[in-house]
Amino acid sequence: MKDKIFGVLQRVGRSFMLPIALLPVAGLLLGIGSSFTNPTTLETYNLTNIIKEGGLLYTILDIMSKTGNIVFDNLALLFAMGVAIGMAKKEKEVAALSGAIGYLVMNTAISALISAKGGVEAMAANSTTTSLGITTLQMGVFGGIIVGLGVAALHNRFYKIQLPQVLSFFGGTRFVPIVTSIVYLVVGIAMFYIWPVVQGGIAQLGQLVLESGYAGTWIYGIIERALIPFGLHHVFYMPFWQTELGGAMMIDGALVQGAQNIFFAELASKATEQFSVSATRFMSGKFPFMIFGLPAAAFAMYRAARPEKKKVVGGLLLSAALTSMLTGITEPLEFTFLFVAPVMYVVHCILAGLSYMLMHIFGVGVGMTFSGGAIDLTLFGVLQGNQKTNWIWIVLVGLVYAVVYYFVFYFMITKFGYKTPGREADDEETKLYTRKDMNARKEAVSAKDGAAFDRVSALILKGLGGKSNLSDVDCCATRLRVTVSNPDLVQDGLLKESGASGVIHKGNGVQVIYGPHVSVVKSQLEDFLDTAESDNVDALLGETNCEAPKQEEKTNKTEGKAIELYAHMNGTVVPLEKVEDEAFSSKVLGEGIAIEPSEGKLYAPCNGKVDMVFDTKHAINLVSEEGCEILLHIGIDTVKLGGKFFETHVSDGQEIHKGDLLISFDTEGIRNAGFKTTTPMIICNTDDYSSVEAVGTGVIATGEKIIEMK
Amino acid sequence: MKTFEYTIKDELGIHARPAGMLAKTAKEFDSEITITKGEKTVGAAKLMALMGLGVKCGDTITVTVNGGDEETAFEGIKTFLENNL
Repeated sequence: MKDKIFGVLQRVGRSFMLPIALLPVAGLLLGIGSSFTNPTTLETYNLTNIIKEGGLLYTILDIMSKTGNIVFDNLALLFAMGVAIGMAKKEKEVAALSGAIGYLVMNTAISALISAKGGVEAMAANSTTTSLGITTLQMGVFGGIIVGLGVAALHNRFYKIQLPQVLSFFGGTRFVPIVTSIVYLVVGIAMFYIWPVVQGGIAQLGQLVLESGYAGTWIYGIIERALIPFGLHHVFYMPFWQTELGGAMMIDGALVQGAQNIFFAELASKATEQFSVSATRFMSGKFPFMIFGLPAAAFAMYRAARPEKKKVVGGLLLSAALTSMLTGITEPLEFTFLFVAPVMYVVHCILAGLSYMLMHIFGVGVGMTFSGGAIDLTLFGVLQGNQKTNWIWIVLVGLVYAVVYYFVFYFMITKFGYKTPGREADDEETKLYTRKDMNARKEAVSAKDGAAFDRVSALILKGLGGKSNLSDVDCCATRLRVTVSNPDLVQDGLLKESGASGVIHKGNGVQVIYGPHVSVVKSQLEDFLDTAESDNVDALLGETNCEAPKQEEKTNKTEGKAIELYAHMNGTVVPLEKVEDEAFSSKVLGEGIAIEPSEGKLYAPCNGKVDMVFDTKHAINLVSEEGCEILLHIGIDTVKLGGKFFETHVSDGQEIHKGDLLISFDTEGIRNAGFKTTTPMIICNTDDYSSVEAVGTGVIATGEKIIEMK
Repeated sequence: MKTFEYTIKDELGIHARPAGMLAKTAKEFDSEITITKGEKTVGAAKLMALMGLGVKCGDTITVTVNGGDEETAFEGIKTFLENNL
């Protein structure tokens, strides 16, 4: 049960990645754009002559700011769609559409209730917002996530639904947007009553903080961080920044209210000798953990990632860390560990709160436009001078924070095995079925009466000439539209047996007419194609008329004693079925075995002769003394490297002996380029032998027996 | 006996994976199918020999089909090449 919840949470977290990947770019646009269009900033640095409102530079910066901002403004919608896509099992595009519909319907329901109850004025202050032009409750990203998760659940439950014949047009995937709109109408009504309670709690917390000193600043910091996942932090800090809650002060003869307003008024005033810490206590605390702490945490996550994932994860984390450092947009980083390791986020909140308190104690008076990145630190701290701001404390505390974050995160990740990026158990998700699984399934299918669906799909598949004959499957209103490689293999009789009312042939195209429920038929067929038994429809269907072109059995099997081949590398044996490339795992090329190498050297598995070294140096063909044809293929898809990272030590036609070095290669380089180094050894003329048996297992060294053939 | 020429369009040429698929396709027919590139002629069902041709993008190969089901085999191989290479 615990594993199941963990698995779901992990998938939820991963589904956030699609929209989150957009945030760093949007953050940079917004950060740079808004800093240099802020009138106070422009005046402070005498840039008003260069960046003038209406001028070209100003307009460009303004466009940057606004296009960046639109992403943040609509983050909830992006999450509604992104999470639905991520959590949907199949037909993801339908889930995306449904996510958008769910989000619109929910907010519109709330909006209608708001106006029915007297409009925005009747609601609590700061509790409403406008999203996509709809006046609705301020729910932040949380609103989108509610939609995304719910829609995905509806989608996974209903995308294959079968309705009565008269309504069958609305069945299958078409039913998902329909049911979504109705469900979210109800959810919207419910949220109208539930959400204000949540918001009320937030408002009370704010009051509490204000009445306390250093400890209050600490709590403020913790709450501000803890609200990030809900998107409610803006609701929380804005009153401090913009209203009397954050203090009031006479500056140059005018009353200024709100922490941020006070800071910028002081910035503009020539009389300021030191910035008021009573105002900046709500801001300065961001700098140490955003510029130093979180990037160190990112580094810890990078260090804890599995070696083969480091390249990919490094890119993701580096861009997120830079975004946090420069602009103070922390969500990309925080969201990467929030969902897989909530406890780490709790620790982060406490440390962040502490950072606010320390800045308060040390009298640091650095404000910000919208967050605590290096850009704001430079503009409002360093350039103002240490006497006015005490900014040096940010760096001092920050350096300590970097160390603390690094060690705390690294310790927690490794100690508790958190699945931060690059540590996911992806072998579970991308599992390749072994023969054992397939047999188990076959038994399950034949044992079960309710296997009618699989039978229909199996009939269709067989009727279309088997899995290998399909190149594309789609459907229109009533027909399954299939493209096959060889139309002669299509058997109309079988297709009709599966329930089709007709079959139309057009070259390689085949249309099988089922009627309006065809979208269900298609989904079922696609599901079936993903299962292991679809590789073997003949066995599944038993004796159902079988005239598929049979290949002539070869009888001239090599007789006599067993041929032995020896490990071609040092490393760990990978059964061919587990190699992550269908060309090998499906055994189209022949039987064999693979090794995940521990060093970049490929050795001869037997005595014989080099038949051909590939131009791209990633593979080599050998013929053994006994006439066995062997393909050694370093890595998966490495033909695309065009020879880079490989060095050959033999040439075509050369005699070789068992254990000779054939090719050396740069394992790190290949992995860093995004390729796997799993190296299959394939017996190309498998048909010439009565059995090819992989005998090696586990960790293996060159020269140990790995394959036995008869 | 039927023959046709075909120019490879796949940018990676006939490397391990397509060679395996081609050999598998060729095995489905009774006819003897051979592939010729330059002066070398090999059996299309022989995976190793097929890879040994080292066919690249832009190379033209000659396919020869000879046997009982040569009509279907001819179409089958042609379709395969057009769809995959």
